[in-house]
Amino acid sequence: MRRLRALAAGALALAARAAAADPLPETGFGIPRDASLDGHHVDDLIHFTLLAIAVIFAVALAMLIWSFARDRARPAWYTHGNARTVGAVVGAIAVIAVGVDGTLLVRTLLDLHERLWNFQGAEAQPGAIRIEVNAHQWAWTARYPSADGKFGTPDDVVTLDDIRVPVGVPVVVQLASTDVIHSLYLPNFRVKQDAVPGMINRLTFQAVKPGEYEIGCAQHCGPNHYKMRGVLTVLPPDEYRAWLDTMRADARRGYDPDDADAHWGWEWRRD
Amino acid sequence: MEEGLTVSVPAQLAAAEASQPIHPPPTSFWRKYVFSIDHKVIAVQFLWAGLVFLLVGGTLAMLIRWQWAFPGRPVPVLGGLLLGKSGGVIGPAAYQQIFTMHGLIMIFFAVTPVLIGTFGNFLIPLQIGARDMAFPKLNMYSFWTFLISQLLVIASFFTDLGTGGAGWTTYAPLSTNVGTPGTGQTLVVLAIFVTGASSTMGAINYVTTVIRLRAPGMTWMRLPLTMWGLWLTAILNALFIPVLGSAAMLLLLDRSFGTQFFVAGASAVRGGGDPILYQHLFWIFGHPEVYIMILPAWGILGDVFSFFSRKPHHWYRGSVGAMIAVTVLSALVYGHHMFVTGMSPLLGEGFMVFTLLISIPSMIVVVNWVMTILGGRIRFHTPMLFAIGTMILFGIGGLTGLFLGDISMDLYLHDTLFVVGHFHFTMAAGSFVGAMTGLYFWFPKIFGKRLDERLGKIHFWVTFLGLLLVFLGQMTAGYEGQQRRLFDPYQYTFIQRLHGLNLATSIAAFLLFAGQMVFVWNFFRTVFGKGKAAGPNPWEVTTLEWTDAPSPPPFHNFDRIPYVLRGPHEFGNPEVLKRTGRDWVGQTEALPGGDMAGDPALSSGKA
Amino acid sequence: MELAVNAGPRGGRPAEVERLSERPGHPAHEEKTARIGMAVFLGSWAMLFVALFFSYGIVRARTPLWPPLDQPRLPLLLPGLNTAVIGASSAAMVMAERFPGLRRRAVALTSAAALGAVFLTLQALVWTRLWREGLVPSGGPYPSVFYALTVFHALHVLVGLAALATLAVRAARGRASWIAVRLWGMYWHFVGVVWLALYAAVYVA
Repeated sequence: MRRLRALAAGALALAARAAAADPLPETGFGIPRDASLDGHHVDDLIHFTLLAIAVIFAVALAMLIWSFARDRARPAWYTHGNARTVGAVVGAIAVIAVGVDGTLLVRTLLDLHERLWNFQGAEAQPGAIRIEVNAHQWAWTARYPSADGKFGTPDDVVTLDDIRVPVGVPVVVQLASTDVIHSLYLPNFRVKQDAVPGMINRLTFQAVKPGEYEIGCAQHCGPNHYKMRGVLTVLPPDEYRAWLDTMRADARRGYDPDDADAHWGWEWRRD
Repeated sequence: MEEGLTVSVPAQLAAAEASQPIHPPPTSFWRKYVFSIDHKVIAVQFLWAGLVFLLVGGTLAMLIRWQWAFPGRPVPVLGGLLLGKSGGVIGPAAYQQIFTMHGLIMIFFAVTPVLIGTFGNFLIPLQIGARDMAFPKLNMYSFWTFLISQLLVIASFFTDLGTGGAGWTTYAPLSTNVGTPGTGQTLVVLAIFVTGASSTMGAINYVTTVIRLRAPGMTWMRLPLTMWGLWLTAILNALFIPVLGSAAMLLLLDRSFGTQFFVAGASAVRGGGDPILYQHLFWIFGHPEVYIMILPAWGILGDVFSFFSRKPHHWYRGSVGAMIAVTVLSALVYGHHMFVTGMSPLLGEGFMVFTLLISIPSMIVVVNWVMTILGGRIRFHTPMLFAIGTMILFGIGGLTGLFLGDISMDLYLHDTLFVVGHFHFTMAAGSFVGAMTGLYFWFPKIFGKRLDERLGKIHFWVTFLGLLLVFLGQMTAGYEGQQRRLFDPYQYTFIQRLHGLNLATSIAAFLLFAGQMVFVWNFFRTVFGKGKAAGPNPWEVTTLEWTDAPSPPPFHNFDRIPYVLRGPHEFGNPEVLKRTGRDWVGQTEALPGGDMAGDPALSSGKA
Repeated sequence: MELAVNAGPRGGRPAEVERLSERPGHPAHEEKTARIGMAVFLGSWAMLFVALFFSYGIVRARTPLWPPLDQPRLPLLLPGLNTAVIGASSAAMVMAERFPGLRRRAVALTSAAALGAVFLTLQALVWTRLWREGLVPSGGPYPSVFYALTVFHALHVLVGLAALATLAVRAARGRASWIAVRLWGMYWHFVGVVWLALYAAVYVA
């Protein structure tokens, strides 16, 4: 029995150490697949706005085409604009302003405060994952804290272009850079945040299904900006724990107290 | 003259003549064509300088397109000339220089000189009834300063490490020695500073001239909308180019004198500077800059729609008020370029509110165009086609701004090709096609000849359909997540499905560029060959340059300073038709049969 | 205001216009135009200085300790003296604008220029002293901001100084242009106001 368990643990460890698999390619002509809890808020707004501007454009185009098709022998309507026409213009714009701009404003304020930029709320939830990411030319280095939540310990797990998170819990990322501005971009989670030298910025998301997704850089950072690609792997909770344990063991073994460059972590910023 | 009714008309005219005496025209070749103080000559100088760099900027765009369509393949013809060291293949370092200089050249060295340098210089004195700008010598200096800045750009290409490569936005720290060492980037930043100086000189002239040199009777509410567009642009130029100047200056100090304004991270000394400071300075200029580039086009479109629909512009005061509102609000929205930099949420939300607000006056301007055309007796000459095309393309661009001004959606769309599509619809389509509208419209007045109408219409259709295909495709790619400024987008698995789309839009772009040769042929053939002679007013419109000056105007513009009686959009008035047999009456035209009821000329000073 | 239509000799300004521009309080058409042009010009420069002060504000807000502990302290006496110097220079300029006589105008202009030169000398003294104490531009954001603001302002003083000196020489030779004096007066007062803001924000605060 013990041998079987050892074998199983060994197999799991091997699997956990394996490099992140490749994300599945997207298909069709739509927005990338949504793997996040809150991404649909963004998608809903995009589709609402698309519909609104399509209607506005169609109405304006119809008016123009009607004018173009008009019999050119007839004299033009002579008016500099009267109370009725000006009123119609102002009224139409007011409807658009309130209906479209207003909706956008209200929905976005709610989305930002409750979800997309609600870092305190995300961190307060039990099981929330904290990761520090150092963006540099031209790769993403991520640091996981020790079991007691502290950064900068021998137990820190540091990965390159490879971020793994469990499904179903909020992930909060603190983001920094040591050279130029980069931007952490998760297309399948609809989030993005700049990594600015001298600042520590924050990003949060929550995955709803396991899989591999891409991490992109969204701020021009030099000739190899296009190559600054990472993989975000969303794992079931037990696989995530197994992976983290294996990586921690490796980290402890490989810890070098004299390697100052490796100790780039910072104390987790709290508001 | 502001004295209005209290001074007699002859006295006003005499005072105007006295303050603008007729000088004899220059005779030597140098004074006539090179070091000229004549605003009309300077305008044409800006036109040539701008058109040449338009070609350069367009070629750079074709290189970008080649890389997306056929990554890794040697570029035909140009590859051998420009990329010899790599066998004609575009590499990552060359690629970043190509997209950087494409942006900078198009904005500062192509569209600005044509739209603002040419039309501002040529039209302002003519349309307000003056003999030249307020400061003719300063005007000449502004052109030569501009030329120096263009030479600095050219010089930057010949440095060891090549030209600038930090994007047209030149964000620090990438644009400091940390990210982009070498003289090339420094020369580019210097070129921006120098062209800013040129724009400021021009702005001083434009602002002062419109305030001080309007002919008697030319009140503010009788100005053509083109004048309003150019004047408000000049105010924005005067106020906000210096902010760009400060960003450029501080960046030059960081690059050349070791200061620490924008340097941060590992290379910082004693805490270092703030890269975000650069972005604040840049965008406080940068957002008004996009309005600088569109306001003249808005003005031109307003006038052209009235002229070619043969009816007055709808709600002139509304459009003027809206353009003023946009001018005032333009600096308050700049933070929408910085939503993901980590600024405080409250600040970001404030910028979002202002961005949504600024959409309202913009809508007023566009809706007024539609209302001007509605029920018109439309003449589909080339300028009108280009104006309609500008309106549709700019309309798409403006509407897509809603996505980006909203923080939630911007979190996903920021720095994707959606943004690139948005600003190409508004700037390439709005400003560039708007400039083409002006060029086709005023060509007869500037050169005294008519461009070929058929070639003009072909140019229009290729440009309109080409821009539509290229940039709708680009926005689709951005909607599907592709970031901007990627040398090889297909390193990302999620972008691999977009290869077909990018190839298709690249082919459309090649055709769009090729189509511009129709214009080049038409333009050169007419200017240097034997074009059909243009009369003084071939379009039958009302403004002073058409009604009171021949084509082209003489050195002193007007034999006699005109007296303005009414606004610029008096078309389709049945009473005018009865008295003159025409559907239009000029701004300075005295109507036979005395004043008419409702004629703006009757109520003094009101449009 | 009826004016004769014929232009002066060789297309220059008619005699009446020339005479009118000598009357303070009744600026001729050209002078009003020139003043508006100068106002726009100064508006542009003002925006550049505003941007620099804005940068100073942001850099300072981000630095936990200002001035940093290991940087030399900025003097208060010499710059304070400079404030008096530039104030006196502006006063001399006002007198130059008001005096009708050419000789007194020349004296006023020379005094303004001389005081400007004194300003630059004192500023140079401040710089050399600080440089020797170790305040160099590459020493971080604090000296960067200090040198950028003060050098940029000093360049403006230099330009104004050259203009005033030229005007003084012309006035002494009997060829002063009334309009030019008034225009450069606007510029000189502007430079003085910027100095006040600079002194308050950089040296005192």
